[in-house]
Amino acid sequence: MKKGKRPIGKILMVLMIIFFYLPILYMIVFSFNDGKSLTNFTGFSLRWYKHMLETGGMLEALYTTFSIALLAAFISTVVGTFSAIGLSKSRKLVRDLMEQVNNLPMMNPDIVTAIGFMLLFITFRVNKGYMTMLLAHIAFCIPYVILSVMPKIRSLDPNLADAAMDLGATPWQALVKVIIPQITPGILSGALIAFTMSVDDFIISYFVTGGGVKNLSIMVYTMSRRVNPSINAASTLMILIITIVLVTINVVPVLVSKRQKKEERSGRKVPGALIPLAAAVVCAAGLIVFFRFNGAQGGRPFEGQVLHIYNWGEYTGENIIGDFEEYTGAKVVMENYDSNEQMYIKIANGEAYDILVPSDYMIQRLIQEGYLQKLDQSRLDCLDKLADAVKGLPYDPENEYSVPYFWGTVGIVYDKTKVDLETLEREGFNIFLNQKYRGDVYLYDSERDSFMMALKALGYSMNTEDPGEINEAFEWLIRCVETMDTETVTDEIIDNMAQGRRALGLIYSGDAAYVMSENENMGFYLPLSGTNLWSDAMVIPKNAKNPELAHEFINFAASFDGAYDNSSFVGYTSANQEVMEVLSGEGGEYEGIDAYIPRSGYGLDEVFVYNEKTRKLISNLWSKVRIAESNAN
Amino acid sequence: MKKFSQMAIPYIIWAVLMLVLPMALIAFYSFTQPGNSIFSFSVTLEHYIKFFTDADFLIILWRSIWIAVKTTVICLFIGYPVAYFIARCEERIQNILVLCVTIPMWINMLVRTYAWIGLLSEGGPAQRILGLIGLGDTELLYTEGAVLLGMVYNFLPFMILQINTTLCKMDESLLAAAADLGATPVQTFRRVTLPLSLPGIINGITLVFLPAVSSFFIPKLLGGGKYFLIGNMIENQFITVGEWNFGSAISMIMAVIMMLLMMCVHKVEVRG
Repeated sequence: MKKGKRPIGKILMVLMIIFFYLPILYMIVFSFNDGKSLTNFTGFSLRWYKHMLETGGMLEALYTTFSIALLAAFISTVVGTFSAIGLSKSRKLVRDLMEQVNNLPMMNPDIVTAIGFMLLFITFRVNKGYMTMLLAHIAFCIPYVILSVMPKIRSLDPNLADAAMDLGATPWQALVKVIIPQITPGILSGALIAFTMSVDDFIISYFVTGGGVKNLSIMVYTMSRRVNPSINAASTLMILIITIVLVTINVVPVLVSKRQKKEERSGRKVPGALIPLAAAVVCAAGLIVFFRFNGAQGGRPFEGQVLHIYNWGEYTGENIIGDFEEYTGAKVVMENYDSNEQMYIKIANGEAYDILVPSDYMIQRLIQEGYLQKLDQSRLDCLDKLADAVKGLPYDPENEYSVPYFWGTVGIVYDKTKVDLETLEREGFNIFLNQKYRGDVYLYDSERDSFMMALKALGYSMNTEDPGEINEAFEWLIRCVETMDTETVTDEIIDNMAQGRRALGLIYSGDAAYVMSENENMGFYLPLSGTNLWSDAMVIPKNAKNPELAHEFINFAASFDGAYDNSSFVGYTSANQEVMEVLSGEGGEYEGIDAYIPRSGYGLDEVFVYNEKTRKLISNLWSKVRIAESNAN
Repeated sequence: MKKFSQMAIPYIIWAVLMLVLPMALIAFYSFTQPGNSIFSFSVTLEHYIKFFTDADFLIILWRSIWIAVKTTVICLFIGYPVAYFIARCEERIQNILVLCVTIPMWINMLVRTYAWIGLLSEGGPAQRILGLIGLGDTELLYTEGAVLLGMVYNFLPFMILQINTTLCKMDESLLAAAADLGATPVQTFRRVTLPLSLPGIINGITLVFLPAVSSFFIPKLLGGGKYFLIGNMIENQFITVGEWNFGSAISMIMAVIMMLLMMCVHKVEVRG
């Protein structure tokens, strides 16, 4: 045929390659950026790689990604091959039926398959974690292996095995020495597809994981709301590993076949496929050894124990986890959530954690529903260090269950160059309905605080149980999302406001403190109609596996050093009185930033109270607001 | 012979447990109201009624299907010429090009999607290039366009590879025969090449449409907080709202719609 005569074709190829590789290349380049920005390259540095190595979780995620992929590919190839051979000899009815069953994961949208697995594990009370992720991966890989092996089996002479056995081979010999060599290409391509599917997967892993087990994609997904170039670094590392594997698979057979030709002359034979396979196994073994036996010291009180923390995203200081691990010898596994509700679902499903950091009303709910254990006061040495404003709050009047972690208010972050204080003072939360700022506002994806804003704007109590008032608030929110071209975000608001991308946003005081410390044009305003005075506190669930270590962590995080690290890095107000004073005092990190010190003693500010009925109502109404917002755009 | 067919038995048990049972569970949850345990429940159609009587949900369903259709059409119109060209290259170059298309699929889909954030974000290279032609203020990230781009980027390789495989299998002497019989290149393409590559097109459409319609992380990462698709609704129900029965019902609705669509597509294939 005509070979490459058409310039259009060549241009098309070049464009395609640019399209496919430009984003990847861009990411690799920015993984070496000295600054935090994803758009300005300020100089070469390995800082994010260092950060990635220090945070630890990333390497583990890479290890999980590849170990699961290798195991799933290997197991599903073996099982799939034997099953395909078995099925090919089964009755037609069985074969046809199984073909349909096999098609299920391929013909269903991934998310449906994923939810099926999740419901399966939860219904049968299987603890979600590494094993469930592996099982799910094997389950969706086997059909691909069967699909790629089956045509090869069909093309075989059906009497081949019989012939072998007639000649004295045992069935096993017939299988291994006659059938399998004939279908090797199908098996290898099946293995490759299984490996690819597993490495590529996010959706299924996301729904079936638990116990802090994360692969790289889950890690990226949970961290992607804030700019974090270590994601680029980890991704680059993954791309590097994949490239090595691919080159091995594609280049080694060529080399081997060349050598084979030589060796055939001298009479020896090396099966071509074995070398890349062997290389892969060696790589895997190396990785496993590297990650498994990484540092072991003796002599500390909790050596080798594990503490499972379920905390908000970006809610711990840079060093506290490392320091705690160093101090106790224990290992900390941390999982993050975006909302109290998300956390609650996992707790209600019986997932075991040692430490949670829920907000006020959620603590009340967890106590009411019997999910929390009373703290052992004899093990705690931190209660006297707490700020008065966070001691004995209504959700836990005696601090029997909880030790406050951070506290603050919810207010409006605004760009002083676009919004004047007078308008804010006049309108309060109603500024979110002011057409002047259409397309220039962020809402926060929290059902509680969004309804708080609307209720306060209307002059009601945020704890109202009156359906009429709640409905008015709902209409207020609907009007807001339908007329203001809003965008509802979670943590993205922090970096985006720090870069001045919007004029207004609903924000937690601690995030505002960070935004203001990054961008002096930003201000924080608390409406006179009152707002939510919240606190998040550390609690220990009843089903905690290591309550002793959990108490130790509470002490550690509430101590001056731990609390200082947390608060100075994250920007939220510390519950530790001394830390709060030091950070907001002269020379402190948040000197002069009013958002850091919450308004206290203002009569219209309230603390959330838990009420099951209004919760359900608000939760349903909030999904409707989100959908209306999405449909308004 | 018997011995060999027994090898399938473990897998049949496994498949029932790991492939059939999960689907049965989704169906079960979608038709029931939660009790205190799996043994106390009541059967209901409430979740389906809730979905089909709410205009907002239907709009989202429609939008998800619509963006998946757009993605599929774009992938087809870009993917076909690319696949065609690759198939016309000599074998060595063909292999390299196919590898080029495959490599992005090896890099995890989430990482692939994340990679676009920097390129599209405010003040990023894409916006600067637009700035050169005076469109510097166009917002790129967190728009429907970004979601569409992310989907095309993620799923285009499936389309190219499927079409390319059928084009490569095609007997080239057929083209020569058509030319000998007086067909113009355009006629040859319409009457010979296109019908013969139809199976590849149909597989490609399936492989693009299916993930596109159910995607939830692409709208979340590239569409920001204001772009909701049916996949996001399902994720929300399971991860933050906790109404699993309703979430299961949405999943069932989606699975059934997909199955119907696939059946239609395969009818076209059979006729073709």
